Amino acid sequence: MKATTQVTSQATTAQQAAVQPTQAAAPAPVIASRKSCNPDGIGLSHYVLMDRKAAK
Amino acid sequence: MNGPAPHLPRLQPYDIGHERYVALLHPETAFWSLVDKDRVEAELCGSELAERFQAQAARFAQEIHALRFELKPSGVYVNPTERCNLDCTYCYIPDTLRRHGSDMPAERLLGALQRLKEYFATVMDGGEGARKPRLIFHGAEPLMNREALFAAIDLFQDDFAFGVQTNGTLLTDAAADFLMQRNVSIGLSLDGPTAPITNATRHTWAGQGVHQHVLRAMERLQGYGSWSVITTCTTENLAHLTDMVELFHRHQVPTCMLNAVRCTLSGARGVKPADGDFARAFIAALERTHELYRETGRKLVVANFANILLAILAPTARRLMCDISPCGGGRAFFALAADGGLFPCSEFIGLPAFEGGNLFTDGVAAALESPAFKEVTGRDVDKFEPCASCPIRHFCGSPCPAEANEMNGGMEKTGAFCQFYEEQVRYALRLIADGKSDDFLWDGWDQGTETVFSAC
Repeated sequence: MKATTQVTSQATTAQQAAVQPTQAAAPAPVIASRKSCNPDGIGLSHYVLMDRKAAK
Repeated sequence: MNGPAPHLPRLQPYDIGHERYVALLHPETAFWSLVDKDRVEAELCGSELAERFQAQAARFAQEIHALRFELKPSGVYVNPTERCNLDCTYCYIPDTLRRHGSDMPAERLLGALQRLKEYFATVMDGGEGARKPRLIFHGAEPLMNREALFAAIDLFQDDFAFGVQTNGTLLTDAAADFLMQRNVSIGLSLDGPTAPITNATRHTWAGQGVHQHVLRAMERLQGYGSWSVITTCTTENLAHLTDMVELFHRHQVPTCMLNAVRCTLSGARGVKPADGDFARAFIAALERTHELYRETGRKLVVANFANILLAILAPTARRLMCDISPCGGGRAFFALAADGGLFPCSEFIGLPAFEGGNLFTDGVAAALESPAFKEVTGRDVDKFEPCASCPIRHFCGSPCPAEANEMNGGMEKTGAFCQFYEEQVRYALRLIADGKSDDFLWDGWDQGTETVFSAC
């Protein structure tokens, strides 16, 4: 039997201090970004596992 | 207004309802940018942004093409029983099956998993540290066949990453402990912040409510990392979505989904909310999750919206494969019915025309090539209107093919919630404009990703 582990990160932050709003920076005239990775999503609307680490 | 220089790709302006920014999109590659309204014309006529995008456009096109057409299955949804102890208003499995159906015997279920293991070994890399195929027990209610289910998990725990989607009513302390000790991901369903609201759509065959059972199941799972709760959004709970996320946050739910009711079968259409009403209630609930995060430092990720953000920020990092075209059904995953029937997705179980074969007599590879599967995997938003000319078609994917076919009359129709998806995308782009998008995603969401374009 595998050991019990916690596999997503949200629950481990349960008692963090309240988050301070980010300081507003001067607005950029253009915003664009794109990230890439190997696709491995298999969720559907009846089931989801969001954390990619948890799928390992 | 002049057009872009002839060698540059044409970017389409898209109003996101933001006071400062307009989106410029390249739909074919799912490239996006947010541009100060004062600069839109200049950017459309050619600029550093367009030049930089042009340099990457072929790569982005290939990435989207691979995501849409070149995936191999890496997951399977297994229904170990046709039966369910509940009679929910909107279920996509016919009531005769749920009420009078049969279980897959334990030996047959073990045999099915052996065949699935052998199939995935042919399409996924094995070896040390390799990703395991995911196998999700689904329903009907999988815990109606608990002994067979648990035997399968124990025998194949080295071969699959397991999940169970359950209505929660049969998730006893012992069952929850068994699953948590084996690191099985657990999904529950709850439709309301109070019993009358939940019970309006989710109840037993005798009409008894299930709200308290699910709350107890949620309490059992507090502190466990890998669990989530689905709320199916209908006319019955639309006014209570903000209360819903407050309840989830209070119960330390790490991830939830606020799903639009799937209108595949007629029962669901009677509780379908109007798009505009749904969008307003949904965004209000999202805003409440953000307030709660700011107040407590603890996130409640609304996964179906997070997936829209991912579709924009990192298209290949999507977790849900409904919001892409073709959808993941029959190509990223498939579904196994309790009688061995293979379907592109659980949503098609109950629609016999979409059975692509039988696991025990035909095998997975043959089913993937069947006309039934090809009809679903061939549904391409580039090939039918209004999707083909919609600038956000590769953020939304026009879900769901089962719903489009059954409710709207064909695969080349939109799904049930076109305007709702548009509002989600606009809201997601506004959050990006305001620098808030990370607050709606799980911590470390971009680990393992590479930044391939950046301008800000």
